[in-house]
Amino acid sequence: MSTPDETSPRDLAAAYALGALSPEEARAFESYLATSPEARQEVAELRETAALVALSAPEAQPGPGLRARVLDAVAAGKVRPLPAPPASVPSWPAARRPSPLVWGALAASLLAAVGLGVRSARLAGELAQRDSTIAQQTRTLADQGQQLAARDSTLASVLSPGVELVQLTASGDPDPRIQLFWDRQHNTALLHASKLKPVPQGRTYQLWFIKDGKPVPSVTFNVAPGGDAVISQVSVPAEGQVSAAAVTEEPAGGSPQPTTPVLLVGALPKT
Amino acid sequence: MPNPGPVSSAPADRDLVAQAAAGDERAIGQLYDRYATVLYTVAYRISGQRADAEEVVIESFAQAWRDAARFEPGRGSVAGWLTMIARSRALDLVRARSRRERITQTAAADRPDAPLAMGAWRGDPADALDRIERGQQVRAALEDLSPPQRQAIELAFFEGLSQSEIAARLNEPLGTVKTRVRLGMQKLRTALRPFFFEQSP
Repeated sequence: MSTPDETSPRDLAAAYALGALSPEEARAFESYLATSPEARQEVAELRETAALVALSAPEAQPGPGLRARVLDAVAAGKVRPLPAPPASVPSWPAARRPSPLVWGALAASLLAAVGLGVRSARLAGELAQRDSTIAQQTRTLADQGQQLAARDSTLASVLSPGVELVQLTASGDPDPRIQLFWDRQHNTALLHASKLKPVPQGRTYQLWFIKDGKPVPSVTFNVAPGGDAVISQVSVPAEGQVSAAAVTEEPAGGSPQPTTPVLLVGALPKT
Repeated sequence: MPNPGPVSSAPADRDLVAQAAAGDERAIGQLYDRYATVLYTVAYRISGQRADAEEVVIESFAQAWRDAARFEPGRGSVAGWLTMIARSRALDLVRARSRRERITQTAAADRPDAPLAMGAWRGDPADALDRIERGQQVRAALEDLSPPQRQAIELAFFEGLSQSEIAARLNEPLGTVKTRVRLGMQKLRTALRPFFFEQSP
């Protein structure tokens, strides 16, 4: 049965507020909403009505530990996903490129990193998950009563305001990943590696910052058998334009200049 | 009548959202104290699992934190916004679970609800009373609908079914379902307007 009323877009307001339109219907209704302040007011009221339906369910109480977990997740969410890299980064200044053979891979990876900005919306949810995992792990450390000082600085480096997250990824492979929680204010970073292959004996991973177009050596590290590593208090070059961070595999002890192709790379957001 | 809003000394919900948007996560703590029970209630009703409901509450507040700057007061109350976020997250989770037969963490799932410890809960008792009274009003208003209207609204809200899916589920014509949703929601709105989380300006 169909009455003339049912063809009016406004009649969809209730179903829209209740989330009972198909995605296509909802999009069409939203175009209509954009043109009608009255319909927006009506939807606002119907949405309030729909939200109250939640209270018809038998009341259930969350456990006492949930508040802390929520705040952990929120604190982890303080770290924003990687913004689109600055346009200058992919166009690596050819004149200053230190070693075309080695760093050609970096340029290619940086191009891939541009894609990160596009993916950042999808990554945001995943990041929040991962970040809350880090927060959990950080808490576990604390619970063990170990490395209290390290925990404090770790927490500080992840939680302080203004911390930015830089994601280092291998080109074409989403799995090995490094997150750099970059505290601009203190020129330090917390490095969190996940799903990296442990390097063989006599070898090490090395982090590089790309400053004024040149690689500056940073920390060396290996990962646990599960592929994870957390390194706190990594110094970030304070002067100059640091455009990216990269990871290579090097002989144990690290190298003054990279000797192997870049494995992971990520652009640092501009100051 | 329920308390029309927080007592005057407490910040208004939308001020808390503005604080969250400005980067103050304590505001989320305060919103948690006010609305965690509502969010947990709807998440538990939809997911049927305590561990899932907790995950939904965490994700919902994390999303509220991320989206705080985009909150538009003209589109409704903070409480309604948070509730609808939790509903969506819970439905997403249930859909994902049914897709891949999620193995639930039994240890977490079987944990009985912790009793409400005195002093541990930071919620305001006035909020709790308010919520209970609103819940009674909502149940009464739903009871006043025709059973098919109530059923359509509940299927949409708690099971996330579209009108077409409701029609298919009930083997009823789509037009009939649309009419039930529309008339039922209009009647509900009239009955519940005095009990909205926030009154429209």
